[in-house]
Amino acid sequence: MKRILIILLVLSILSIFSVTSLAGVEVRIVGWGGVDQSIVEELINIFVVPELAGKGITAIYEPIVDDFQKNLINSLSAGTAGDLFYMDIFWAEYIIKAGQVEPLDDYLTKSTVISKDDIIPSLLNAFTFDGKVYGIPKDFNSLALVYNKDLFDVAGVPYPDENDTWDDLENKLAKVVEAFNGEVAGLALAPEFARFGAFAYAAGWEPFVDGKTNLMDPAFKEAFNWYTGLKEKGLGVMPADIGQGWGGGALTTEKVAAALEGAWILGFLRDNAPNLKYGATLLPKNPRTGQRGNFIYTVAWGLNANSNNKDAAFKVLEALTSPAAQQWILERGLAIPSRKALADNPYFEKDTPEAQANKIVFLGASAGNVKPFKFKEYGDQWMNPINIALSEVMSGQKTADEALEIAQEQLNELMK
Amino acid sequence: MENKWSSLKEKTAPYILLSPFLFGFIIFFGYAFIRSLYFSFTDYDLFSIPNWVGIKNYINLFKEHLFATALRNSLTFAIIVTTLQTIFALLLAVVMNQKIRGIRYFRAAYYMPSVTSSIVITLIFMWMFQRQGVINYLLTIFRRYGLIIGVFLTFLVGIQLLLVVREKLRSRPVEYFEPGYIILSIILAAIITYVLKDFGIIKPIEAKAVDIFWLNTREKVPFWGGPFAFPRPLGAIMILNIWTTTPTFMILYLAGLQDIPRVLYEAADVDGATGLQKLWYITVPQLKHITFLVVTLGLIGTLQMFDQVKIIGNQAPLESTITLAYYVYQSAFPGASAPKVGMASAAAIILAVLTLTVVLIQKIFSGEGRELRD
Repeated sequence: MKRILIILLVLSILSIFSVTSLAGVEVRIVGWGGVDQSIVEELINIFVVPELAGKGITAIYEPIVDDFQKNLINSLSAGTAGDLFYMDIFWAEYIIKAGQVEPLDDYLTKSTVISKDDIIPSLLNAFTFDGKVYGIPKDFNSLALVYNKDLFDVAGVPYPDENDTWDDLENKLAKVVEAFNGEVAGLALAPEFARFGAFAYAAGWEPFVDGKTNLMDPAFKEAFNWYTGLKEKGLGVMPADIGQGWGGGALTTEKVAAALEGAWILGFLRDNAPNLKYGATLLPKNPRTGQRGNFIYTVAWGLNANSNNKDAAFKVLEALTSPAAQQWILERGLAIPSRKALADNPYFEKDTPEAQANKIVFLGASAGNVKPFKFKEYGDQWMNPINIALSEVMSGQKTADEALEIAQEQLNELMK
Repeated sequence: MENKWSSLKEKTAPYILLSPFLFGFIIFFGYAFIRSLYFSFTDYDLFSIPNWVGIKNYINLFKEHLFATALRNSLTFAIIVTTLQTIFALLLAVVMNQKIRGIRYFRAAYYMPSVTSSIVITLIFMWMFQRQGVINYLLTIFRRYGLIIGVFLTFLVGIQLLLVVREKLRSRPVEYFEPGYIILSIILAAIITYVLKDFGIIKPIEAKAVDIFWLNTREKVPFWGGPFAFPRPLGAIMILNIWTTTPTFMILYLAGLQDIPRVLYEAADVDGATGLQKLWYITVPQLKHITFLVVTLGLIGTLQMFDQVKIIGNQAPLESTITLAYYVYQSAFPGASAPKVGMASAAAIILAVLTLTVVLIQKIFSGEGRELRD
């Protein structure tokens, strides 16, 4: 008798558990750690919970602090990845081609919250392969010329503006450097294609022609010589040479007049240099082509193709990218959302430096020769030879021709 | 019956006690090893079903420029670091074995680099190796005042020799490092150097600041090294690695030193052996088995070096720091493209075989284990 009672008890406990797990679907969202954790958790609380709690759908955020992409690839391969995950344009192509990401076209046609037409086309195209959409861009970034207003004021030099060509900018930087007797370097020049590339694009360079990269192209060399020439003329400095890791850090030392960064610099400046008066403008135009260049950095939400809760996950995705949620992100200056309709948002007309810089970044993504920040399936391996060439030339170890020749050889080896 | 049961229990007991370890060993080593071995013959990319490709991965590896660089870097690194760290560890242990006041403090202090996190130390060294870092600063100081230091040292050695030889000629028992004379020589040499500098006969050299690129360069050192030259960033990692691992092996040598019978040294003293002779003819041979252990552990550790390359990351060009272990990682997670798990596994197998071979060669040459066979 006693035994039967125990069995009944165990069975009833088990059934309670199984019933609750049937009723509630939990959608796991995987993304970066740091600021993203607080942003997404707040988004979940404000937008996902009120919308979906009644339908038995809950969402949790699982931050991956370091090496997000390696972690994602491993968990996708092991079948333990989240239902929704961040996909950076830089590496998304591979996991999409490996069939790990669900095409969203059917979901989007049925949806009443979001459709393909709502999203800025260049962003959506970046995640479209063979005519199918695999990711909903959550936000994006581009490069702007962020400058220290005080340094220009003290030197009595007009601020850089959107009509500047490379030569105009160079002249302005030269005047600032002269006014401070060389105590201030002009531009923070990171030896990275992620910054320099925008100038190569402005000169009309195409990174891939018939599947090959040609660094000997006159347009590339023109941009390379201008960028590294700034350093040689004393109008620029590598952030590492003043003990900083990147342009944002260099700007906070007040020893450089300007840096090339995206909207990610704004939160950093707010925290690390609250008294720095900064402005932002579009990157200068190439004097020959009259064009600007830029990168689009973007991250999308991907839906796990092997998820058991795809419908629930898409509902969460809708809540995360709803007009209200994107408005909330924009107004807090966290990122620049991907909905077209937000271009006319009154936020961009606000007179704060942050709103103005965000507007510049927003405009930068459609001004001139703009390309997504991705290099086919090569990624870092494609950029590294160029980065090393930049740093070798700027540190005076090699001439431009020597360094580019080695870089070209390495790229040929990579792309053979 | 009773007897049989107890003998069975006795036989199985060791296996039961071993089982927790065996369990871990089989799952995390045995299984993983067999999987890697299998993957090394396939084109596995983490998502598609692996196809058998035979030894294609191995052939491709040897065609790849980066793998050749990694192999070369790994071997150079292992040989140089193991040699130097073994010598330094032995010398440090002999010094730390002296019976002087506060020796416990010194032992603990010298052991610090080994117990500190390798990541933290690498980050600190990355600062020191910057262009305007501490290391270049010290080299600048040395270059500027090198002449003065040189003059001082020359006089120091000269005066000491003069004093000792004078005593020796009078057939008095005196050592070359007689403490009283050393103090006298230091004072005299310092006075002479000061006077020379004051009169302007020697002065600091007006040298430019040393500007060596320790990390961000593809230059090879030594420049006369030809095929044996290695990239300077790898040299920086060598310095760092020797500094952190020497104390670990020093502890092993210290333990070994305690076991050497004192009578051997006493007998040597009676025969009038010098300190150097005692080190070479007693200490080194008596520590042979420890040396074998130190060299083996050193080779295994250096061939698998990974963390420091990973942390230095983009601060140095890949081909200047890549080692075999990092090559494996890089192929398994190549950034934006498909993971080349097949190639990575093949490289890992080669690394394992290489490690085994090097240790075996070392064993044959050192003659260790012979007494076991005899």
